[in-house]
Amino acid sequence: MSEMWINMGPQHPMTHGLWNLRVKIDGEMILDVDPEMGYLHRGIEKISEDRHYNEVITLMDRCCYVAGFAWEHLYIQSAEQALGLRPPERAEYLRVLCDEFQRIASHLMWYAAFVQDIGLMSPFLYGMRDRDLVLDLFQSYTGARMTYEYMRVGGVRNDVPPGFTDQARKVLDWLSDRFVEYDQLCLGSTIFRERCDDLGTLKANDCVAHGVTGPMLRAAGLKRDLRKDRPYAAYDRLEFDVAVADSADVTARYLVRMEEMRQSVRILRQVVDWLDRHPGPVLAERLPRWLGAPYAPIGNEGYLLKRHYAKGVGFSAVEEPHGEAQAYVVNDGGEHPYRVKFRSPVFANISAARQYLVGYHVADIPPIMGSVDVCVGEVDR
Amino acid sequence: MASATLYSVSDGLASALLHALGSVLPGPARAAVTNPNVIVGLAVLIFAVILLAASMLNTILLIWWERKLLGRFMDRRGAMHVGFAGLLQNFADGLKLFRKNTFQPQEADPLGFYTGPCAYMVTSLIIFGVLPISSGWNAGTLPLTLLLALAIFSFAPLFIFVSAWSSNNKYSLMGGMRSAAQMIAYEVPILLAVVAVILVAGSFNLTTIVYEQQNYWFWGPLVVALIVFVAGMLAEMERIPFDLPEAEAELVEGWNTEYGGMLFAFFMLADYLRALVGSILVVLLFLGGWTMPTWVPGALTSFPLAGIFWFMVKTYTVFGLFVWVRASLPRVRTDQLLRVGWNRMIPLSLLSIFLAAVLVTVKCLPLLGCVPGVGS
Repeated sequence: MSEMWINMGPQHPMTHGLWNLRVKIDGEMILDVDPEMGYLHRGIEKISEDRHYNEVITLMDRCCYVAGFAWEHLYIQSAEQALGLRPPERAEYLRVLCDEFQRIASHLMWYAAFVQDIGLMSPFLYGMRDRDLVLDLFQSYTGARMTYEYMRVGGVRNDVPPGFTDQARKVLDWLSDRFVEYDQLCLGSTIFRERCDDLGTLKANDCVAHGVTGPMLRAAGLKRDLRKDRPYAAYDRLEFDVAVADSADVTARYLVRMEEMRQSVRILRQVVDWLDRHPGPVLAERLPRWLGAPYAPIGNEGYLLKRHYAKGVGFSAVEEPHGEAQAYVVNDGGEHPYRVKFRSPVFANISAARQYLVGYHVADIPPIMGSVDVCVGEVDR
Repeated sequence: MASATLYSVSDGLASALLHALGSVLPGPARAAVTNPNVIVGLAVLIFAVILLAASMLNTILLIWWERKLLGRFMDRRGAMHVGFAGLLQNFADGLKLFRKNTFQPQEADPLGFYTGPCAYMVTSLIIFGVLPISSGWNAGTLPLTLLLALAIFSFAPLFIFVSAWSSNNKYSLMGGMRSAAQMIAYEVPILLAVVAVILVAGSFNLTTIVYEQQNYWFWGPLVVALIVFVAGMLAEMERIPFDLPEAEAELVEGWNTEYGGMLFAFFMLADYLRALVGSILVVLLFLGGWTMPTWVPGALTSFPLAGIFWFMVKTYTVFGLFVWVRASLPRVRTDQLLRVGWNRMIPLSLLSIFLAAVLVTVKCLPLLGCVPGVGS
């Protein structure tokens, strides 16, 4: 077979979303790759400029459909900074609760998709099954399983229902037992190690050069985690370790994500205990009516009130399950943000594809791209 | 029932039918329809139809068995809604595919595109003609049935490659290349492993091979050959961990990407027909076919069609093991697969031949029987 270009995407089982990986192959060898993004562009940043501050939250859930909470948190933080608001402490803990459960749910989703990519059939359903438990928890206090619209500028929409913390502890116990099984199915399998060791290597300096962040960066041995390096919400009051691995290959990324889930469980146990001991308000007091209203449908008279906040800009960075997400919100005194800008970690991670794909086999593309954990919603926004 | 064979049943059916027809016809016509040659012709036809129906039915049951088992391995139930415990689900799926439009890609070569799946299906079906299901339940007692079965079995890569190439799709072509490379690589160790069986049994005839196992099943003394044969069969069936010709993660659906409707159903059915053949061959060559050990109570082995019953039990158990493997192993890569094939499997199969030769030479086989003898 001579050299040829093939399109892996935009509809292809490898992509896990809507993007196109153009691959130049010679037989089974990859000579060149060219990732094409933009199939899922919805103009979220532009739409945000015509929306009320709290209405942008709806878009954030759609930004990344497997990690909606992380993106809500990201936006909320910069919006609060732009408006000069501070949430109550309980809301900060609730946000951490959301974030960490979301990290587990997102990593479980990644696990399910990743094992499917290398042909493991059963763990796919195990991952989805356990993710459902986390989604059930989300449903119990937000009413939704994927698009929550839970966080608010100045706090969160509502407190968790009675009995939630006990249920959460049960789920955490169940999950920590399951992680052992996951490792047995993957790391315990010779074929898995044959497939994943020394595959898709991206060293730390290449990661930095390409702006690759998150588990991929930590798998290369660089101990960088915004929750430690630039603490936000309640992370500075919680104990946890940053998961790192050295070999920078697919196995290392697997190890990092698995360890992150264990650390998330550790954080969540502390958060749940804290929530039990510290009741309190979850939404900042003395918000203007248009910000404080739990739901602010268009046409609500409170919506039309003039705001009383000074101009300002807000910047926030959040350690999202996929990497470092950043948001920049400009408040020019109007009811809508003047400009909203996001930095998607996955965009940078995919863009470096040539660095970690060329030279491997066609059959290696699914595991390598699987280990990147692509979420196209946030790539295209 | 021991005396009844599939052929005698169809022969009796054919002659009864034709004599009944002849009794209402005038003289010359009666002589024509009751001519022995006509009866034989109809008997063969009935025989073929029974065989076709039985193999198709078993294949569909095999798919159901796989879906249920796989479901349990995955902590779910599998097909549940159509028929009792989802037994009719595959018929519903088949009907759906049957009603679908069959289309052909613009630049595809119609000759290869249509003959490929049909030939694949037909060659998979033909094998059933030579596989003995129970004593006397086969088409004929050719002396070389084993060789014939394996010869027909190895046609597959050719037709897969023809249909892959004529689809004019890059994924199909890559799948076809992988399939051809894989099947050719694994046919060698399979045949060498079979040589070990032939050495011990002293015959190419599957029926004789089964009768040679009356005192001890071959899986005990020939365990190396069994391992090679089962691993090779997994590759020949293109099942996980060796399903890379249709690795859906990277090749969409591999060599049958461009096929839809009934042509796709042909591929699907032929795949499972081959899986059934593979399981049957494992049972025939290593697990004593339809015979059972003597410690099994006589009541369990002497009821009508007991041979077929136990044969089916063994076949579905062997296939269940394949499903278990599928549920718990990842897929290997092409180069790893070929490396294992040429570097590990072939030496192993040569070793199994050597061991078999030693066993035959020193005549200690009966002592090595792992399963208590069946006795007469």
